[in-house]
Amino acid sequence: MQTNVTTFKALGDPTRQKILVLLAGQDMTIGEVVDHFDMTRAGVKKHMKLLEDGHLISVKADGRERINSLNRAGFQTMMQWIAYFDRFWDDKLDALASLVNEEEKE
Amino acid sequence: MTPTEMIKTVFLPVNAKVAWGYLTKADKLAKWFHAPKHDLQNGQDYELFGTESGDKLCWGKVLDMQPYTSLTYSFAVKPFPGVQTEVHWALDEIEGGTRITMRHIGLETAGADSFGLSMAFDKGWDGHFTEMRDI
Repeated sequence: MQTNVTTFKALGDPTRQKILVLLAGQDMTIGEVVDHFDMTRAGVKKHMKLLEDGHLISVKADGRERINSLNRAGFQTMMQWIAYFDRFWDDKLDALASLVNEEEKE
Repeated sequence: MTPTEMIKTVFLPVNAKVAWGYLTKADKLAKWFHAPKHDLQNGQDYELFGTESGDKLCWGKVLDMQPYTSLTYSFAVKPFPGVQTEVHWALDEIEGGTRITMRHIGLETAGADSFGLSMAFDKGWDGHFTEMRDI
């Protein structure tokens, strides 16, 4: 399984975060997403391309429409990367606290 | 919080000067983290080795050291050798001890285009965790 640094870049922007929140509620066409922003269609499209590159949304054709939806697998991969360091630091800091308590208790 | 920042705190029942030793001295780091060959020094590269395996597990450069209050180093780990991140340690003396705040940032600046997550969960690395927990 692979994740990509573009995933993190995609997430680090308030507009893109808002798009993700919208798509978490329901699948949308670009036009429907644009209605929620004071921004040109081209501007929104650029953000959505970055989200797609970051594997956070997926796009499928439905007749002439292109439907955007949240890519849950992409989120899962990212969460695994974060979970790795979460566990790493929990283990290390637990070991540090135990060690200090042991060595400094006298 | 940005999606790429991780913050952890731990309370140590010692003053900041003693806590500082645990974050920077080779003999102390070897007991809870991994073992460097030398104490951490400002501006110097560092490498941390597995105490039993002898493998190089973490490495980077000490970017800033303010004795007893803060420490910053760049940080790479064996499972993701191309990914350079940054770790900040802040020490705050509070009643009865020192609060340590660890901030791990910069995953978005990673140099590699992609990395295999499965590598992070390889047996060697996992085994090492188990050893650390037993200290």
